[in-house]
Amino acid sequence: MIVSEDRFGFDSDSTLVGEPGALTGWGPIRRPPRLELLQGPGAPRAFDLLADEMVIGRSSQVEICIESQLMSRRHAALRRSGPDVRLVDLESANGVYLNGVRVHSAGLLEGDTIQIGDVLFVYREGG
Amino acid sequence: MPAFVRFWGTRGSIPTPGHQTRRYGGNTSCVELRMDGALLVCDGGTGLRELGLDLRRRMPEGVEAHLFFSHMHWDHIQGFPFFVPAYSPESRLHVYETTPGDDRVRRLLHGQMKSEYFPVSFSELGATIEARYFSNRELWVRGVRVRCFEQPHPGRSFAFSFEHEGKKIVYATDSELDSCVCDPLLREREPEALRRLPADLVRFIEGADLLIADGQYTDAEYPSKRGWGHASAATVVDLAVQAGVRQCAIFHHDPMHSDDVVEEKIQVCRARARTHGSELVVFGAREGVELKL
Repeated sequence: MIVSEDRFGFDSDSTLVGEPGALTGWGPIRRPPRLELLQGPGAPRAFDLLADEMVIGRSSQVEICIESQLMSRRHAALRRSGPDVRLVDLESANGVYLNGVRVHSAGLLEGDTIQIGDVLFVYREGG
Repeated sequence: MPAFVRFWGTRGSIPTPGHQTRRYGGNTSCVELRMDGALLVCDGGTGLRELGLDLRRRMPEGVEAHLFFSHMHWDHIQGFPFFVPAYSPESRLHVYETTPGDDRVRRLLHGQMKSEYFPVSFSELGATIEARYFSNRELWVRGVRVRCFEQPHPGRSFAFSFEHEGKKIVYATDSELDSCVCDPLLREREPEALRRLPADLVRFIEGADLLIADGQYTDAEYPSKRGWGHASAATVVDLAVQAGVRQCAIFHHDPMHSDDVVEEKIQVCRARARTHGSELVVFGAREGVELKL
């Protein structure tokens, strides 16, 4: 739908009726969920969560490698199921804190903070 | 062996789906405990439906679950007819009655599935569902000692304590704690002062690694809700401090409370614990969060 304006020479009281799809040409734009590293080695940095599972840890073999001595080699996993992402502690030595509370696992929501030792992330939902 | 606790429903009174309640969740009371290999379920509010779906995935060969109902108000039983394992002949459900010989829990679960309310009758459920009874307010599930404690609530309710290998978890929802504060005028006289609660209640909770407790109201709200059977979150904090609890999950969030209001309530609770000089960890019970103790 286009609301007419005088500068196009249309009658300002009339409305041209049209199909929105034909005018815009695309559907919703999707972006993946992401983890933003706010504090800790390598900050600031962002990780798009593109795979079904991504592991956070100190090992160079993991997808989200943070070289902090307070982090286990394989510390926590981020598991995607559709639009949802679940954080799971992989039996780490120092645990995972969600918004300041130690958790074993949790579904993540926009703005959640994840603290692992001296490392702080914020979770951003996809859209 | 560690104990696991997962919140499937944390809302009080009625389900509250929607953007305003997304963070803490809109499903009504249901908490899963796993201790000594036993699956223990506290209450069957609408969160029980989600738990059932997850159990079908985790235990496709059949579920053995122990169901403890604090009481039988709607928000604690409505999930049961939608609990998928109840329909499976491979499942075995143990339903606990707090009073020997009393079949109230089973009778009311049956009643809510009468054809006037629900299309499938209780007798059509495929699972083996059997009643078990507390004896002197205590019983054992495998190596887990379970005790119950009567609470002030219209029609009464029960708290449950689960203990195994030095770990203690207390589930205490739908309790009007403020009605049994030792000095009922203290809250008006000195709102910040520690509200003493009855010794037998404090003993029941004493030393819990985790207390999951009804903290539905703010202090400002409670006076207008007196007699409805729920507690001020501040009084829950005071109980937890007196009982030497390590972590306290404020539970049974008011259906009128948005996530922001719950968050504010939790901040007030944390400040109160600090005021009492306590290291108590206070948080708002949130759907989908799992703890390992």
